[in-house]
Amino acid sequence: MVRYVPLVLALLAAIFLVAPMAIIVPMSFSKAISFEFPPPGYWTGYYAQYFSSHSWLEATANSFIIASGSMALTLIAALPAAFGFVRHRFYGKSVLNLVMLVPIIVPAVVSALGYYSFLSPLRLVGTHAGMILAHSVLSIPVAFLVITAALKGFDRNLERAAMSAGAGPLRTFLWVTMPVLRPGILIGALFAFLHSFNEAVVAIFIAGRDASTLPKKMFESIRLESDPVIAVVSTLLTGAVLLGVLLSLFVRKRPASR
Amino acid sequence: MAYLRLRQLVKSYDGKSNAVDRVSIDVERGEFITLLGPSGSGKTTTLLMIAGFETPTSGGIELDGRNLVARKPYERNVGMVFQNYALFPHMTATNNVLFPLKMRGFPKHEIGARAEQMLGLVGLRRFADRYPRELSGGQQQRVALARGLVFNPDVLLLDEPLGALDKNLREQMQVELKRIHREVGITMIYVTHDQTEAMTMSDRIAVFCNGKLEQVGSPLDVYNRPANRFVGEFVGDSNFFAGRADPARPGWIQLSGLGPVRIAGDLPAGEVDVMIRPERLRLQRPDEGDGMDNLIDLIVDDTINYGDSVLVIGKTRGLPLRARLSSKDGAALGPGAALPLAWAPADAHVLARR
Ligand SMILES: Nc1ncnc2c1ncn2[C@@H]1O[C@H](COP(=O)(O)OP(=O)(O)OP(=O)(O)O)[C@@H](O)[C@H]1O
Ligand SMILES: [Mg+2]
Repeated sequence: MVRYVPLVLALLAAIFLVAPMAIIVPMSFSKAISFEFPPPGYWTGYYAQYFSSHSWLEATANSFIIASGSMALTLIAALPAAFGFVRHRFYGKSVLNLVMLVPIIVPAVVSALGYYSFLSPLRLVGTHAGMILAHSVLSIPVAFLVITAALKGFDRNLERAAMSAGAGPLRTFLWVTMPVLRPGILIGALFAFLHSFNEAVVAIFIAGRDASTLPKKMFESIRLESDPVIAVVSTLLTGAVLLGVLLSLFVRKRPASR
Repeated sequence: MAYLRLRQLVKSYDGKSNAVDRVSIDVERGEFITLLGPSGSGKTTTLLMIAGFETPTSGGIELDGRNLVARKPYERNVGMVFQNYALFPHMTATNNVLFPLKMRGFPKHEIGARAEQMLGLVGLRRFADRYPRELSGGQQQRVALARGLVFNPDVLLLDEPLGALDKNLREQMQVELKRIHREVGITMIYVTHDQTEAMTMSDRIAVFCNGKLEQVGSPLDVYNRPANRFVGEFVGDSNFFAGRADPARPGWIQLSGLGPVRIAGDLPAGEVDVMIRPERLRLQRPDEGDGMDNLIDLIVDDTINYGDSVLVIGKTRGLPLRARLSSKDGAALGPGAALPLAWAPADAHVLARR
């Protein structure tokens, strides 16, 4: 008996995690005009509504733009920071390490308020740039942690081997350091993208009308109209994220990377 | 003039102590020279300076008459093989070997054949398309060797390249490495703390201790005529006795606690250390020798049987003494047994006390 306990627990956990999806996907094909489960009938009308709605499509585009921008900014900041941190000694290093991690600890609502009061005098509230900045504040420390860990495990003799093979610093970095660190960098990038793509609290505070992202739009629409298009968006989003994660797993399994 | 010259090389990491302390070595073109020394004696640091990864605190490095110190590692033509292989994990064996050729701008039509030939030389043609993690330790080390040699470096540096291999593979690779050295004729500087490896592979051995160069010489030189007690004890097994050369009795040395012994050759004056290798001691037989041999009694404490020989560990008049006897002579010796031993005057090596 006892040996089935872990299996049962695992199954329960899986059901718990998958259950929302099991409800959302059928609902996205539902005929009901509001949320209703089980659905009275099935059609794809709400998918048609989503793909013909200007505001939904705009939010989708915003989400992609902001998530991509946040991913880029995160890498631009976290990569050099991780290198500087792991490879050099400097005064106040351990304090800085703690400061770097603060954004992970502070509750989202608190930071959202902070961003609002910080970004509004700069006229960045309601802009893509403002959203990218705000979302990067959290993903930079996370990417920094991941890349730092990868870099600490990096064998510097690889760089020495590359240099004695005749590669200068740039080529050593491009052909040896980067490819070897790629899994860590990819995870950092993936996190940055997904974090920005899923984030709702900060978006509600500072996205405004022009930079409204999918999560914000969904939140508003569920509050104002209980529009079943949300189920469609949720299904599409989850599908896209799942695809992304599977893709990155596949990339890691390939023999070319470690 | 020597091909590679290290002149009064000093490296200090912390500004207080010297990891490498005034080391001067002249390496001939095509030579296989081994840096031998205990852990932390500065061998790796010396290699890193030759490769250009560490800058000497002072002193010079010349290759073929040109100063190397000012040049970046990638501007030098120096190959390096690391103990942990340091193969590029994201490249196949072939691509690892191609890497230096691409970086150094070898002609495109040439590099494929060159890499293949090099993988052939190390016996890995069959594994050309494998990734490092699909290769055994010995195979990985061969790839690393091929990568270090393929661009025809002026010097190949090897930092304990066989350190991670098991004993059998190690010995096989030693033979292999010597063969490759003969075939390519590239100057090699080899680092190890295994004295047997140094003895069997090297043209010359440079013995390091605490950053200082204690002795440079052929393996037999270093073994038979160590420059000081450290070298004598580090390279091979040894017995040391304190003694005193008496100017009034040339050819004799008074060993403290043991009495006078006859020693061949020129002797330094004053306080000396006398070294006798355990294998130079033999069982005394009444009818043997020319009557000039020194005699010494060994009281057995313990024996280690190596199969081909027996190491007898014991004491002579309270002083530690080790003798290596043939397995026939050394068989069936129990603790407490008294062995009469003899050694010839030419078998000892005498060092002036510093
Ligand atoms: N990067 C470094 N920073 C500070 N000290 C160092 C550094 N590298 C080596 N040292 C010190 O320099 C001395 C010589 O080290 P080195 O690595 O050259 O020894 P080694 O002869 O190669 O030893 P081993 O056989 O253990 O590899 C040691 O005392 C070591 O602690
Ligand atoms: Mg070393």
